[in-house]
Amino acid sequence: MRVRVLFWSYFRDLAGGDEIMEVLSPGATIAQLLEQLHRRIPRLAALQKSTLIAVGMDYQDKDYVLKDGDEVSLFPPVQGG
Amino acid sequence: MRRTILLTRDPISELWGMPDVAPSTAMGAIVNFHGVVRATEAGEPIVAIEYEAHEPMAVHQFGLLMNRVEQNWPQVESVSVVHRLGRVEAGEVSVWVVVVAPHRAEAFAACQFLIDEMKQTVPIWKRILR
Repeated sequence: MRVRVLFWSYFRDLAGGDEIMEVLSPGATIAQLLEQLHRRIPRLAALQKSTLIAVGMDYQDKDYVLKDGDEVSLFPPVQGG
Repeated sequence: MRRTILLTRDPISELWGMPDVAPSTAMGAIVNFHGVVRATEAGEPIVAIEYEAHEPMAVHQFGLLMNRVEQNWPQVESVSVVHRLGRVEAGEVSVWVVVVAPHRAEAFAACQFLIDEMKQTVPIWKRILR
């Protein structure tokens, strides 16, 4: 299955772009997506403790089971106001 | 509870008037909060802040916070939030919250809650411009 990964704020600079498509096995979790991404983009791995993760418009935990076509956003702590 | 959620690249101006807050006769408190870009950050001068948002998610997350306001303070009649995006000069308003309630206690509490929680959950980021 394929999921679209969007990078926000300075994560975009670390990832070298706004978004990428990742191919995963059916039933893969966010944790597995991150493992795969971190191998390719080690600079993001260093920030994983402070990384916020959303699927669509809602926050999700690393054990969330992804579906084909999901849009996953990765970003640093928010700073509105 | 009436709600307004607006992300805008235009300056926030009192000339807009208050967004959808005209209070009913049972309301006795309007809290009007402006967050303003300070001219210094960590003691160093700055000229502006550039705000970026995941816009659909930011609107959705503001909506979830407003659900919690409604649960916690059911007397609140309306909540409005306007947040700037793009470049906001030092001295300009970056966020504007208006809460209308029967009494000041719930109006102040709901406004404080919304601002505090926004800084935890609403996907807006800033970049300091010096």
